[in-house]
Amino acid sequence: MSSCENPNVDKDALMPRRQKFDGKTKICVRCKENTGNVVIRYSVYCKTCFFPLVQTRFRKSLEPSINATPDGPRKKALKAVGSLVIGLSGGTCSTAMLDLVAKSYFAPKNEPTGKLKGGKDHPRNSDKGVWKGKAGISYVEVCGAFPGEKDRTEDIRAVVESYSNSNFEFLPLRLEDSFDSNWWKSVGGDLSTSAQSLARLDLHLVNSSSESSPLQALRTYLSSLPTQTAFYSAVQMLVRLLLLHTSASRDASHLLLGTSLTSLSVNLISGIAQGSGYQVTEEGKEEWNPRPEHGMPLRIVRPLRDVGMKECTIWDWWCKLKIVGEPRSLYSGGKNAIGALTRDFIFGLESDYPATVSTVARTCAKLTPKEGSDEICALCERPAQHGVQAWKSRISIRSYQEVSSAVSGNTRPPHLTEEEITNLTKSSLDITPTSDHPFSLTPLLCYACHTLLTSRSSRGLAASLPQGQSTGDVPLPLWVRSSADMAISAHSHESVPLAVKMSRREMEKEISEFLLSDE
Amino acid sequence: MSTISLRIEFGGGLELLFDNKRSYRIDVPSLVPKDNSTDAENLSTKETKPVDVDYLIHHMRDNMLKERVELFMEKDTVRPGILVLINDTDWELEGEGEYRLKDGDEVVFISTLHGG
Repeated sequence: MSSCENPNVDKDALMPRRQKFDGKTKICVRCKENTGNVVIRYSVYCKTCFFPLVQTRFRKSLEPSINATPDGPRKKALKAVGSLVIGLSGGTCSTAMLDLVAKSYFAPKNEPTGKLKGGKDHPRNSDKGVWKGKAGISYVEVCGAFPGEKDRTEDIRAVVESYSNSNFEFLPLRLEDSFDSNWWKSVGGDLSTSAQSLARLDLHLVNSSSESSPLQALRTYLSSLPTQTAFYSAVQMLVRLLLLHTSASRDASHLLLGTSLTSLSVNLISGIAQGSGYQVTEEGKEEWNPRPEHGMPLRIVRPLRDVGMKECTIWDWWCKLKIVGEPRSLYSGGKNAIGALTRDFIFGLESDYPATVSTVARTCAKLTPKEGSDEICALCERPAQHGVQAWKSRISIRSYQEVSSAVSGNTRPPHLTEEEITNLTKSSLDITPTSDHPFSLTPLLCYACHTLLTSRSSRGLAASLPQGQSTGDVPLPLWVRSSADMAISAHSHESVPLAVKMSRREMEKEISEFLLSDE
Repeated sequence: MSTISLRIEFGGGLELLFDNKRSYRIDVPSLVPKDNSTDAENLSTKETKPVDVDYLIHHMRDNMLKERVELFMEKDTVRPGILVLINDTDWELEGEGEYRLKDGDEVVFISTLHGG
């Protein structure tokens, strides 16, 4: 920046803001004929070239992941093994994504006469789509978590119906379905165990002592979270899991989410800040395995990951698409949550230095965890780092009274006896739940989810619990206990010896038969 | 004092800040204070400039905005995440806030802040 003056000499000197395009010409860089209408990362495009540009980027991100074998021949052989589910929030990007999907893969291809050649049941016309069956368009209504907010299900239904496409099926969901046994049953979940389990704030699972409606259960769960950040992250997580389980129940092979390049960068930075660095790869590209016999492996694809928020906004405006969602976190609380703070930062960055945002996404795409994992977090159902609690206990200062999986061999805290430490470590590693030592959720959580549930704010709880609910009786989403059951059974089949610190008395007892008597 | 007529449109939920009305037709003075103050009484004593988008943003803040100024403006311009189109063209191609408004111009403000 040669034009940047020395601020020590000239107090008013400011570094000039970089121009958004080279300023030499306003002619479109693609057709080199028309006057440009929009600047995208320093390049000028006209309105005519803008649409194919976005559509090409969209297809380039989506199509390599449609076929079961990613590198197979594509052009005319796009064939998914299952059906398609599209996540629609009614916001800028998912609205643009739905439009792109409709125009690219579900546009009616009638003959010039207006009739299908050979009729709709002719082999030429049947099963011609890329995905099997109808595409489900799933919307999760979150007003249950934000009292006073308008229910937008019917507005979204109107958006879906505006396509008048018989291949689209609207699938309305509600955030409280995560606690609704009817929904869990409809997606093939097992009710024998999962509906009965609750958790306390110390993350021990206990049997339910109270019957509450799904909405009440949702509110209790969200109110029990320790911070505003945890609240918003939990809502996001519930939406994600509702979409995943619903997709699996429809034998879907692909779930499309409207995460743009800008929102992907926000999610990556915000996720890392909340401790999900191990799962950074999943944020961009993810494959989720449902419960055995409950569907096929599901690819979660973000086809707008190379398209910025600006392009999505312009697409919506120029295509006259209706945005029915409301920028919630701007108009209500949550502006101090990590997600909102990161969003403000990335939006500011995109406004001043547009290319930097794609650098965030591209850099994160290169990251891989040092070691793989076969463990899945019970709450978010993403890969969980092995031995995370042992690592956490080594790197952080925690209350010894709450250590649930502390490993042996640590320096003894002055206020605890050796016996007390032994009991603490022993109970945490005891995988079989008993009435004295109920099963703890902690070993089944990834670092980010454990932090989400336990990291306390100096300001206390994010919200107060509803009347009649205590922190010792907090409902959990229905898939959590089911995941816990699977994990317990997997652990019980492993015969890996665990290192448990024993007290001197126990050690003496173990080897008593080999000891010589004092006499 | 001569004025010019403009059409203002809102999208992406930004209309919520402006009385939930998506479209406005407004008149603004063709000469405005260089410091973008919207106080018309002291105009004769101030240095003036032809009306530009910077002034329009201040005019909207002082005369049209119903709530939460921080959601519309930041550091004398629109908040990052708000996209401005002047006559269907990105304002970055038109000189952003320095674009001199003409009679009949259409200026669109779209919030991209909803995300997903």
